[in-house]
Amino acid sequence: MDILTQLVINGIIAGAIYTLIALGFNLIYGATKFFNIAHGVFAAIGGYTVFFFFKLSGAALVPSILAGVLLAGIAGMLSDKLVFLPLRRKRGSSVIMLVASLGLFTALQAVIAIMFSNRFQTLTDIFNIQKTYQIFSGVITRIHIVIIITVVSLTIGLFLMLNRTKFGKAVKAISDDDEVARIIGIDTDRVIGYVFFIGSAIAGLGGILIGFDTGIMPTMGMGLLLKGVIASIVGGVGNIYGSVCGGLLLGFVENFGVWKISGEWKDAIAFGLLIIFLLFRPQGVLGK
Amino acid sequence: MKIEIRNLTKRFDGVTAVNNLSLTLEGGKITGIVGPNGSGKTTLVNLLSGFLPIDGGTVILDDAIAVKKIRPHKIKSYGITRTFQDIRLFEQMSVMDNILVVLTERNLWCALFECHNPGHLQKAEEVLRMIDLWDKRDEPASSLSYGQRKLLEIGRAVSMEARVYLFDEPFAGLFPGMAGIVESILKQLRNQGCAVVLIEHDMDLIRGLTDYVFVLDSGVLLAEGRPHEVLRDRKVVEAYIGN
Ligand SMILES: Nc1ncnc2c1ncn2[C@@H]1O[C@H](COP(=O)(O)OP(=O)(O)OP(=O)(O)O)[C@@H](O)[C@H]1O
Ligand SMILES: [Mg+2]
Repeated sequence: MDILTQLVINGIIAGAIYTLIALGFNLIYGATKFFNIAHGVFAAIGGYTVFFFFKLSGAALVPSILAGVLLAGIAGMLSDKLVFLPLRRKRGSSVIMLVASLGLFTALQAVIAIMFSNRFQTLTDIFNIQKTYQIFSGVITRIHIVIIITVVSLTIGLFLMLNRTKFGKAVKAISDDDEVARIIGIDTDRVIGYVFFIGSAIAGLGGILIGFDTGIMPTMGMGLLLKGVIASIVGGVGNIYGSVCGGLLLGFVENFGVWKISGEWKDAIAFGLLIIFLLFRPQGVLGK
Repeated sequence: MKIEIRNLTKRFDGVTAVNNLSLTLEGGKITGIVGPNGSGKTTLVNLLSGFLPIDGGTVILDDAIAVKKIRPHKIKSYGITRTFQDIRLFEQMSVMDNILVVLTERNLWCALFECHNPGHLQKAEEVLRMIDLWDKRDEPASSLSYGQRKLLEIGRAVSMEARVYLFDEPFAGLFPGMAGIVESILKQLRNQGCAVVLIEHDMDLIRGLTDYVFVLDSGVLLAEGRPHEVLRDRKVVEAYIGN
């Protein structure tokens, strides 16, 4: 095993996971222009749904995953309809929206903890974590391959959706100028509802895949969210391609940063990167 | 198409920008709205397009539908569209997409997967050729010159195939060639029977283009009539000189 190759592989894996969270976060930020802290909890909802159906109830894998993705999406859409949409109607500032999303995050996280306890849980090891594959002179596990393939497909899918479909044009129009979007006949509230569904469903899928990789906890959302937010800011907030860029950059910097030092420095390095970007390139790598 | 405005009022703290205003906009006519700076012209357009909530009064569409509250995303279904005094385009999008984005049936579930049909592409080409931006179709809207941006915004409005067009100073800052394009678009819309509203400070344009003129001053209707007569009116001349 060659350490350099392995660091590259680890960087890509971490980058893919951060991208998974940043994609939905950026999609929602683009349309609504506020930092949706609650985004993290939808990852936990996805993970726990699969935990409930697949591990506790013995349902089949694919329907359980579908249920997890769907439930995360629906929860996200409901969060918009019940909390954020009313605030938008009252012209609540982005700070008010952020505080509301933090409240929502805390509340939903508490509900998960009440239902499933605060304990760390693993999902059934169907991907056989022990089995590794050789890539050049490094190794990778099966679940990591699944994560990377998922992120690549999701990014391509979102790219096509935003650039090739009428729905995508509506989303871009809203992100550019929501008032003008409305007068050309776009029902912005409805489109934003769908954006919340898609973004949160992606977060749910992220939570599920991470669950199969390491495991789940009710509090898993905050850590994921913070890394997703850093990836978004580093890549360019509100920019879908910035998510990939920022996710990968964060993954690489974290992994290469702890090359010669203890792995516990990872978070410090991640936030160091965030501060450097906020100071010197607040628009991120790709900008708007 | 006909829009009847009755006792329309809009107050901002301290200022009554539109004050108990009643007027009628008719199809097949270009209606000029003139008045000194701050007389409430843009505010009127903002009210009719749902950009600002109406404080008082009624808007009657086609002698049939009386509305007291206009929701912005509904104005397309009323057949109303507008442009902005300070140009507002979708900057992230290409020139072509700025047109295509309005050519959309709003069936969202289909829209998730559906691409544009040949009819849309043909319509977009037609509009872009009319405003002389076909060659720039793939460039980002943000790269256009001031005049081209102005034309693109007008083109976007035309693509909506509305019946009432509210143009807020569409000629401002345009060179003669581009102004000529705008002029022919306005006439074409009139000939199609649309109600065309033209807000304009250049009185020669008002004389040459409009069929009827309303003069606003401090939010109230100062005078109305055929352009040649109204613009000679003492009250009107004084309002402009006094400003
Ligand atoms: N959003 C707003 N908030 C507060 N006051 C406003 C607002 N919009 C317009 N006003 C005020 O209302 C009055 C009318 O403004 P409006 O923009 O309608 O004038 P206008 O006739 O379009 O002028 P111009 O010829 O300069 O474009 C002005 O006194 C303006 O300051
Ligand atoms: Mg004005």
